[in-house]
Amino acid sequence: MEAVSPRPAEAVAEPLLALSEVTKRFGNFAALSDVSLDLRPGEVHCILGENGAGKSTLCNLIFGVHRPDGGGMRYQGAPFLPAGPADALRQGIAMVHQHFSLVGDMSVVDNVLLGRERGILDRKGCARQLAKIADQYGLPLDPFAKIEDLSVGERQRVEIVKCLIRDPRLFVLDEPTAVLLPAEISALLDVCRRVAAEGRAVVLVTHKLAEIKQVADRVTVLRGGRTVATSSEPSKDIDALVRAMIQGNVEALDTSAASILGLELVAHVDHEPAAKAGIEALQIDGLTVKDSQGVTRLDNFTLTVDRGEIVGVAGVEGNGQSELTAVLAGMMASTGGRIHLGSTDLTGRSPKEITAAGVGIVPEDRHAVGCVPGMSLAENIYLNRLDEFTRFGFLNRTALEREATTLMQRFDVRARGPGALFSSLSGGNQQKAVLAREITLPNLSCLIAAQPTRGLDVGAVAAVYGHVREACSRGIAVLLVSSEIDELLTVADRIVVLYRGRIMGSCPADPARKDAIGAMMAGQPL
Amino acid sequence: MTLELFAVFLGSSIRLATPLLLAGIGEMVSERAGVLNMSIEGMMLMSAFAAAVGAWGTGDPLIGLLIGIVSVVPVALLQACLSNTLRANQIVSGIGINILVLGATTLAYREIFGARSRAEIPGLAKVKPPLLGDIPTFGPAVFEQVWLLYAGVALIIITALTLRYTSIGLAIHAAGAEPKAADKSGLSVTRIRYGCVVFAGFMASLAGAFLSIGDIHTFTEGMTRGAGYLAIASVIFGKWRIGGTTIACLLFGTATALQFQLPALGVVLPNALLIMLPYLLALLAVSGLVGRQFAPATLGEPYRR
Repeated sequence: MEAVSPRPAEAVAEPLLALSEVTKRFGNFAALSDVSLDLRPGEVHCILGENGAGKSTLCNLIFGVHRPDGGGMRYQGAPFLPAGPADALRQGIAMVHQHFSLVGDMSVVDNVLLGRERGILDRKGCARQLAKIADQYGLPLDPFAKIEDLSVGERQRVEIVKCLIRDPRLFVLDEPTAVLLPAEISALLDVCRRVAAEGRAVVLVTHKLAEIKQVADRVTVLRGGRTVATSSEPSKDIDALVRAMIQGNVEALDTSAASILGLELVAHVDHEPAAKAGIEALQIDGLTVKDSQGVTRLDNFTLTVDRGEIVGVAGVEGNGQSELTAVLAGMMASTGGRIHLGSTDLTGRSPKEITAAGVGIVPEDRHAVGCVPGMSLAENIYLNRLDEFTRFGFLNRTALEREATTLMQRFDVRARGPGALFSSLSGGNQQKAVLAREITLPNLSCLIAAQPTRGLDVGAVAAVYGHVREACSRGIAVLLVSSEIDELLTVADRIVVLYRGRIMGSCPADPARKDAIGAMMAGQPL
Repeated sequence: MTLELFAVFLGSSIRLATPLLLAGIGEMVSERAGVLNMSIEGMMLMSAFAAAVGAWGTGDPLIGLLIGIVSVVPVALLQACLSNTLRANQIVSGIGINILVLGATTLAYREIFGARSRAEIPGLAKVKPPLLGDIPTFGPAVFEQVWLLYAGVALIIITALTLRYTSIGLAIHAAGAEPKAADKSGLSVTRIRYGCVVFAGFMASLAGAFLSIGDIHTFTEGMTRGAGYLAIASVIFGKWRIGGTTIACLLFGTATALQFQLPALGVVLPNALLIMLPYLLALLAVSGLVGRQFAPATLGEPYRR
């Protein structure tokens, strides 16, 4: 373990929680090995690491969801082994989970009261308490609103209030900013500071460096389940921390990958405009989708993507992106509008016809739509072209696996072999395989990618965008749907912002326009 | 229809709706917590049989009722264990239990009663509530009912209040709608669901006992005749709400009462058609009127952390 900067002479407070050489295994896989960590009252301690580095496992150990297989924890000076979340909560540990754990058809008050009070509920009293906390930390909420009517940012606030109302000594937040708008993120970090200022210990799990610069007192970096660096002056050590996190050279980082980390060294890189730019490829005209309840999910969406152009669709999740990509993929019927690819009308066509017309689709949910996890990698890579490997009704597996191996090399898909079960691949390799399949469609002229980097580590992100750019330079029109503004800013040429199913506005992908894009994502027109 | 006839019709509708209502409310609580308790039919039959045997053997219908309640506990625990701990398919395990109970009670009935199948079984007493019971014509015909009916109404009101105003109600709602949220709030989803299945068993045992020692004072093989399934249908029809479920049960009860009423009115219809009526109504209600979006989000899915 590399201590990035020397710890200041121990004039520090007694740790509230100390982990020493904690190990957690899932089967043969060690999610955490020999991790030591101490958390002090009054500090914001950031845990930095890529996906799969063991951050969530660490949180779950502290919160009693999992039990360590080795090592020990001490809390307030006594050995600590919570029997479960209930036990951890009782002892003053509260946690905001990566995925919301709120009951959608209950009110804010009821969600806050859930599991906290026994007997007859005092909803009015709780609403008063909520109002007090709202004042204290700047977290306004309507106590009697139903969760399902709230925005993502408001739901996050409910989660935080749910914790704070318990008056915790240790407050753990597991990647709380992943779904928030820029303005909401800074508000959240502000809350973290206020909570710590009251003498509580705050643990903030993140993979965004900008947040660390803004809020962290100390940082612990995890990689592959091990502590690889610590720092008590994170803003000075940021480069070393990044290097520790991704085990590589910051300067060599792909710009798009760096932007995801929130590094400021990023500037937008214009890729060479392809020769065929200016020729319209994908034309979407007035596309409208109403769901079975009659609610308009996508409202008069009109957009043209030229050949060799990357157009980014930004927006907070749930503002019509899923419907847009599902309709373009032929997986959902539109209620109005038309889709053209060149002169071909693709409106209402089946996924098979759309693929045949030359549209590659990288779906949002690669597990449910993009692949068949129970089939082999080779079968998945050629899932849409298995006919080409069929003779007299029989599948020629030798040819299939040989071709798949070539693609695996070209797209750097790492697996035991072409016959490996798709579900045994890591998320990044799965995504690369799906991308390989779509990008190598014989007559590809348009690529639609939805959240293609979600859950991927930095290396995989760089690879995915490398391939997308390469496709673009061949004159392919690319529609890129993502909720990560930074990614869109570095990869796309032009950005349109979706809000409640409508295009709020569009602008060139210029990092200077980030605030404007954030405002549009929150529903304010330019 | 004369006033007397109408009063009798009303009284028998309520009486026939009671077992559905008791079982239906229990089922609703179980489903709200996420367990689709298909074994409600078997639970009712078990209790109907055990209560009848108990009342016949001891001569005291109250002891019979207690034996009926106790007899359902193992059935309910079996259902709860299969659907929570062992994470079995809830529909298959429930139907399995129903078939098991049908076989077991039929066998035991023939062994115990055999030739004495006409034996008189002491039943639960009727009560005449003050004021309501004194109304001319309607008093005796509508309100003079077995006390278990009134106890059931009280239980349903208590259940409604508990679901609405207490932490137990919140916990049950969360266990069915978002069990992860309940778990992370420090509640045990397994314990909540066990509790709800046992409660459904308790309510079903009252319903079963009402059939045998409350209503007709005898036991016949397979006497529930799908009442448990009607209770499940009434939960769906009632959109998982107490008021809706109650109305649905009363509707099905009325349809059953029509079987006896229509011939009395001189309406000639094939008997089989009349017997079908409540089930036909249930089928229509479940297929046509109701969308899935009212169901608890994780209904029928065992919880895995």
